[in-house]
Amino acid sequence: MADRYSFSLTTFSPSGKLVQIEYALNVVSQGVTSIGIKATNGIVIATEKKAVSTLIDDSSLEKVSVISKNIGMVYSGMGPDYRVLVNKARKAAQAYKRVYMEEPPTAILVKEIASVMQEFTQSGGVRPFGVSLLIAGFDESGPWLYQVDPSGSYWPWKATAIGKNMVNAKTFLEKRYNEEIELEDAIHTAILTLKEGFEGQMTENTIEIGVITGSPTVQEDGVVVLPEFRKLSPNEIKDYLANIA
Amino acid sequence: MEYNGGAVVAMVGKNCVAIACDKRLGVQAMTISTEFKKIFQATPKTYLGLPGLATDVQTLAEKFRFKINMYKLKEEREIEPRTLAHLVSSTLYERRFGPWFTEPVVAGLDKNNNPFICNTDTIGCINFAKDFVVSGTSTNQLYGMCESLWEPDLEPEDLFETISQALMNAVDRDCLAGWGAEVVVITPDKIITRTLKSRMD
Amino acid sequence: MMSTVPSELPVTAPIEHRFDPYVDNGGTLLSIAGKDFCVVAADTRLSEGYSIHTRYVPKSVKLSDKTVISMGGCYADCLTLTKRIQQNMEASLVAPMWYRHAHGKTMSTAAIAQMLSIMLYQKRFFPFYSWCILGGLDEEGRGAVYTYDPVGSYEREACRCAGSASSLIQPFLDNQINFKNQASERRELSLDQVLRITKDSFTSATERDIYTGDYLEIFVITSNGVELQKMGLKKD
Repeated sequence: MADRYSFSLTTFSPSGKLVQIEYALNVVSQGVTSIGIKATNGIVIATEKKAVSTLIDDSSLEKVSVISKNIGMVYSGMGPDYRVLVNKARKAAQAYKRVYMEEPPTAILVKEIASVMQEFTQSGGVRPFGVSLLIAGFDESGPWLYQVDPSGSYWPWKATAIGKNMVNAKTFLEKRYNEEIELEDAIHTAILTLKEGFEGQMTENTIEIGVITGSPTVQEDGVVVLPEFRKLSPNEIKDYLANIA
Repeated sequence: MEYNGGAVVAMVGKNCVAIACDKRLGVQAMTISTEFKKIFQATPKTYLGLPGLATDVQTLAEKFRFKINMYKLKEEREIEPRTLAHLVSSTLYERRFGPWFTEPVVAGLDKNNNPFICNTDTIGCINFAKDFVVSGTSTNQLYGMCESLWEPDLEPEDLFETISQALMNAVDRDCLAGWGAEVVVITPDKIITRTLKSRMD
Repeated sequence: MMSTVPSELPVTAPIEHRFDPYVDNGGTLLSIAGKDFCVVAADTRLSEGYSIHTRYVPKSVKLSDKTVISMGGCYADCLTLTKRIQQNMEASLVAPMWYRHAHGKTMSTAAIAQMLSIMLYQKRFFPFYSWCILGGLDEEGRGAVYTYDPVGSYEREACRCAGSASSLIQPFLDNQINFKNQASERRELSLDQVLRITKDSFTSATERDIYTGDYLEIFVITSNGVELQKMGLKKD
């Protein structure tokens, strides 16, 4: 009887839990680690890029994504689910821009993505997304680093980690983080944190880093220009790795 | 535009802006009301002028009130005049092939108290002007008045006098506009609203 | 098949031919009367649609030492009308007599004004497409401005602007010459003030009206006769 009338996958268990969401979080905690650190003058987000086979050409694999000019995103969990969210996030950013002719503030975009993820915990015929996201954005109110979970809950961080090694990584970050940290230091710290639980050789091809730095400037015609989110090239990453070793 | 008549003008001054409108509502040549509202407060420092077809003026005023309130709730901040201009533009363009018959004017101070004015056509093409914008049935007359009366860096009181003279003399040469006027001067620390009496013919 | 119209018959629609001999050549003119002077000003652009035919073509003509006529609208009509006024001042077609030869004197401003009205109305059903402003001094030496519609309705006023930018300039003149919407009492303006207002009017109108520009010709009529001033306007 219960089976026959249960259209939604995500229904409350008698103890008041949504087990599907908990399962989704399990998927996340099995995913590769991602790091995000907010610095005084910017943000860095980083992740491992692990190919299941050495035969895979990983040059086009992308885990850190540009969402809009001033917002970037990384995930831990299921890659295909993430790509759906990247698509939706990019569309949401453009839809906002079409109306207001300016980039969406980080918080607005985060709310947009979070509400999509929430919808997938309640709608019929769907399952929650198997990803947690780290969203880095720089807007007129400064740099912001948000985490969004499969349940649709979201909150801002100074520094955090998600994925397989998140507990250790967070302990590591708690020790290394301070309020005055600058972006260059933050990038180093991010790499070091990733290195903690890293399996195998860490090279410019096995990690991805995205940064956003600068400050909003106002043009003569009154238009505000925000800092740009960009991914570090393998060469840039190589330089950082060389400095750490 | 010519069905109900009406005019709106906005001007930039030194650290201030002014927006003004006439108060007439007519049905072609017949005057129906002399207390018709055409400018609306969007935020504490931004006003929206909507001259044109009266039914669209009122519908759009409500539509924008809704949109501006939703923006404020969502974003936890007041909408900037420039952003409002783009919101107005995209709202109008949604009706590209069955337009709202109004040519909106946005005037306000942004968060750094820099003056901003602009107007759009009925389908949302924005004109960012540094000096003044005019709209409604008295555009020709207003252009002539503004072009000769306006000068840069007017103080609030001088700006009030300039925009008032520009509007009153313009609408006196337009059968479809006039019958009193409303002037709003927006300065960083206060908003001056005045109602003007003018020719009633 | 039942059909009331044999299909072999060719269906012909009447071809309409319309006769439209009018063009609008744009241009703006104004005249302001002072206490003992009169100013008649007009730009010199001659355009049709989006093209400018000529940048310098005077719209105003001195008719006598006391009178200047200025016209805008269809330039061909204006030329003809001006020529006929000048002819009539010598030999009147209105009153079948030669004015100068009959009266032995030059026509007064008021007489020309009345004659122009009659000449325009004579073509009531095929009018001259012309906006006329007659400026000059009356018999007492005061400034006089007469304005016309294309079919001869006329009026004496203190100031008037006509032509393509009239809607831009006229409210400004109401304000500055007739002191409309001003608290201050109406007062006589000096020639210098009137000239300044005239020049400001045209520079402003040139900014927004594509049919106004290039040069400004200002006729100043005083008891000493008619003096012509020229000034450049924007050419875009």
